[in-house]
Amino acid sequence: MKRIFVITIIILGFAGIAFSAGGVKKKKVLEQDYGNVVLDTNSLKAGVNPVLFEHWVHRKAFTCRVCHVDVGFSMKANEGGIRAADNMKGYYCGACHNGKSSFHGGEPLFAACSDKFDKDDMKRCLRCHSQEKAGQERETRREQREKVFRTFADNMPRERGGNGINWELAEENGTIKLIDYIEGLSTKRPPMTNQKDFTIGAKVEGVPEIIFSHKKHTVWNGCEVCHPDIFIGVKKGVEKYSMIDLFAGKYCGACHGKVAFPQSDCRRCHTKQV
Amino acid sequence: MARLLSRRVTAEGATQNKYSSRYRWIRAEKAVLPILLFLQFSRGIPSLMKHLLIPVVLVILVTAEASANFNLPPLPPREEFGNILIDRTSEANGQQPVNFSHWLHRTKFTCRVCHGELDFLMKRNATEITERGNRSGKFCGACHNGKIAFRHNGNCDKCHNGDLGYSNKRFDDFMLKTSVPMTMAGNGVNWSAGISSGALKPQTYLKKKSQDMNFEKELLLEAEMSIIPPAIFPHKAHAAWLDCDNCHPDLFNIKKKGTHFSMAEIMKGNYCGVCHLSVAFPMDECKRCHPGMRE
Repeated sequence: MKRIFVITIIILGFAGIAFSAGGVKKKKVLEQDYGNVVLDTNSLKAGVNPVLFEHWVHRKAFTCRVCHVDVGFSMKANEGGIRAADNMKGYYCGACHNGKSSFHGGEPLFAACSDKFDKDDMKRCLRCHSQEKAGQERETRREQREKVFRTFADNMPRERGGNGINWELAEENGTIKLIDYIEGLSTKRPPMTNQKDFTIGAKVEGVPEIIFSHKKHTVWNGCEVCHPDIFIGVKKGVEKYSMIDLFAGKYCGACHGKVAFPQSDCRRCHTKQV
Repeated sequence: MARLLSRRVTAEGATQNKYSSRYRWIRAEKAVLPILLFLQFSRGIPSLMKHLLIPVVLVILVTAEASANFNLPPLPPREEFGNILIDRTSEANGQQPVNFSHWLHRTKFTCRVCHGELDFLMKRNATEITERGNRSGKFCGACHNGKIAFRHNGNCDKCHNGDLGYSNKRFDDFMLKTSVPMTMAGNGVNWSAGISSGALKPQTYLKKKSQDMNFEKELLLEAEMSIIPPAIFPHKAHAAWLDCDNCHPDLFNIKKKGTHFSMAEIMKGNYCGVCHLSVAFPMDECKRCHPGMRE
């Protein structure tokens, strides 16, 4: 009798899953929140709020490559296991946030994490450890973040989706200048020549073909962000992928849809009408 | 069944009662089949297994019941179809809820302008519309700024009036002045034919260009029951109003032969039901999706 009961529960459970799946519109992320990541490997355990990392703040001054290759940040939140001790030694955030480094001729960046701190330092802690518990934020803090974003974004070329900023164009016309080299961390190598733009056919008839540009990607990523992990990239056509994979966060979906412009902006990639 | 029979008969004579006998038959088919199967295959099965099968059959029966219950929401008068009252924080702040008329806005703009560019969500009261936001040019304020449409100051009661039928008077006006093709249910306006006939010329974007993808593929979607003719899905008619990302990949995955969009799910407001229950033509018009269906 007990077994029958258990099996009934399991079957009912499966029926529930089958009937609840799909067809619902997800909530769209606001422009100022797009690309934001909550980092909490050790924060809560140590008694501080998790870190709210804003990609847009960093990508307006740095290439993706600097952090994700030279500094060594993982492409997946909370995978790296960043500790306060690491930051203090000058790894991860501490590579730049050390109280000394300055970029674009600005003020030295505030130091991340320290083992000695007093009341006045609290403000500095909260600059990163700002994510309130249970994923909530104080209203004032949220408004403040939005205001800071707006003042920056309103001077940028507009684009649909994502941050509402056309980052590619902003870099191209010099609105933002990206740093791709950090003293003592990066190594200068002669740049590789880019492959010419090529087309990738669409699977469904009538959908325009993709024009993929290595040139546009290498400005931000060099080679190493994508090859060989995300794309083995030996020969065109070796790897087969579909939009289903991409939406699941594989291949292009590793960046597009999370930080880079979302994949729902079809026409941004599918540009060549057949 | 009682709920189905008590379904309101609309002014146009869209009678659900006419279909009721057919639906009863479908339901019988669905309910009897599992029992027959059970009896057929239960002979050679040991008694313990038989006990295990009972809950399985029960589950199938329950789900079959649920999916055959065509419980369409009652239709409002045609000039009020698609009208909503937005009250996320209005009443809590001593203001009347906002009346929003979909038909009035879609005479001038496509769905994508508000639901893509301006970030309005597809669910009532879900979008965080604030007065401050509106005044700084977000959400309603993107147009309601005194330049494109009436501004905030001095116009409170044009929106905050709690009256679902506030724009009813303008509906007759619209119908008289424009020669839009008519249809049976919903607003009584065939919006999509309106675009193709040129009677309607809604703006497709404000500042950020639309996707404008020429994708015209028609999909043939087999119905759940063999006696119902398949549904035809035209991409072209939808793309006239929407961008790809209004539907993909949230509402519809792009899987080739993936999920089945059952009527039961659609009735719950999922898949097609996100729009085709409340704003786009309602599902009372079976033939518009299942063209092979008899009257």
